[in-house]
Amino acid sequence: MDPLLLIGAITVGGVLIGGGVHFIPVGGAPAAIATATGVGTGTAMLAAGSGMTGLITAAAATGSPLWLVLLAGAAGAALMLGITMFVGNWVYIWGVGTVPVSAKVTVDPITGYEQEKYVSPGTEGHGVPTVCYVSGIIGGLLGGAGGGLIYYYLYDQLTSLQAFSLQAGETVSIAAAMTAGIFALAIFFVNSVVASYNIGGTIEGFHDPKFKRLPRGILACIVASLVIGIVGVLLLYGGAA
Amino acid sequence: MSAAAGGGGESAINPKTTLALGLVGGLIGLYLVPFVPVLGPLFGALGAVLAIIWGADAIARVASYGLGTGVPSIGYMSLAIGIVGAVAGLFGALIFGDSLGVLVGPILGVVLAMIVGGVVGLVGTKIIKMKIPIMVQCTVELAGASAISVLGFSAAVAGSLTASAILESVIATGFIALLFILNTMAIQHPFNACLGPQEDRKRTLKLASSTAFIAMAIAGLLGIGVNSIWWVIAIIGAIGWFISISAFIKSSAEDAASVAWTGWWPKEEM
Repeated sequence: MDPLLLIGAITVGGVLIGGGVHFIPVGGAPAAIATATGVGTGTAMLAAGSGMTGLITAAAATGSPLWLVLLAGAAGAALMLGITMFVGNWVYIWGVGTVPVSAKVTVDPITGYEQEKYVSPGTEGHGVPTVCYVSGIIGGLLGGAGGGLIYYYLYDQLTSLQAFSLQAGETVSIAAAMTAGIFALAIFFVNSVVASYNIGGTIEGFHDPKFKRLPRGILACIVASLVIGIVGVLLLYGGAA
Repeated sequence: MSAAAGGGGESAINPKTTLALGLVGGLIGLYLVPFVPVLGPLFGALGAVLAIIWGADAIARVASYGLGTGVPSIGYMSLAIGIVGAVAGLFGALIFGDSLGVLVGPILGVVLAMIVGGVVGLVGTKIIKMKIPIMVQCTVELAGASAISVLGFSAAVAGSLTASAILESVIATGFIALLFILNTMAIQHPFNACLGPQEDRKRTLKLASSTAFIAMAIAGLLGIGVNSIWWVIAIIGAIGWFISISAFIKSSAEDAASVAWTGWWPKEEM
């Protein structure tokens, strides 16, 4: 039982999640009617999709070394976001009939394609262009690794207690895995919504001027995660009693 | 929803009324669980229903300012804080020993959730500089309502409020994840569905009681095989849902009538 390690892991994980949200192209309601760039939904929905997938893949690697759990979480969350953005693009391209384009930059920093000409007048871009897609994948990797980190240390610390210890013949303690999973999911939601308040609801990715608010968002996530980490330590002391 | 989700300005219902109803009623419901034989979990579930109505009113007040992230996001966040508080409270109370832990657990869970809610609210106003004057107060209220609703429905599933029973039949079974989403929907849906210039808080709260009662009915069904009075909780939840959704549909039809009876605009202006 090591409370300080747990608080540290929850804080670092929370910062990874909150930082990752700043990379994800959250388009919100304007993107839902294809008048802004990004996926047409709010952070809560994207966090639910990618966070839960990341935690399920991280939990599937329970019992593996830390790097594998982190990798599994990152791969799950990034894959879910990748599929969401990809299928979203199908709808924008073939359903709505718009070109994936960003109005925040004149030239796509990754492909070098011109953007301005293709933005419909009166809109702020449409769909998920390459730079937003790459940014979103980076965000998914960071968020999933953060969720996996919290899950790994919570599970690790919980199974060292008598109440959650492995029974004979078991390889995974289901009670510890679920407690760690729901706690990690809760921390995922708190940090993604706090980060989302920081970006004011919508952002395109690392090329968006709003990305400069990242330090403030990280400070907010450190404070929020630190307090949750301290509350989370009660799990260890209570479970040991 | 990105822009200001304009509510009806002054609420028709005093916030203090819903706060008292949810906090006091919810906690009384929780504390009746260990003391009332057989029917205890039913009172826990009813306490959760009161807490959800309180939470729906708090979310309506804070989201009227326009959060920029939509109504659901603060609902998910408060339920996340509520679950952190409730689970940590139940386990943390075991420090005081088994017999005292049962008594301290629920109140510790609610208080911890409200503290974390207060910190997140302060992070929003002080660090992120959100300009919502009631942000801290409403996040604290929402976190408390979420914690009571999770504890109440957990008691309805597990049949008791001890940490070991909830660990075994709510957390290890994965039902806690279902309660997370179920209670989020019950708390955030009413205002998300009713917001707009004609929002009437009484009508919104009628919808809130219907979402709370149907969540209670589902929580009752989850208790099959664990809790001997699961069917009482499910049936009372279903009856409560029927009464409240009827009241909501009736008041929606009445308010819609004032629009319908004005007729179409005059022909010459077309």
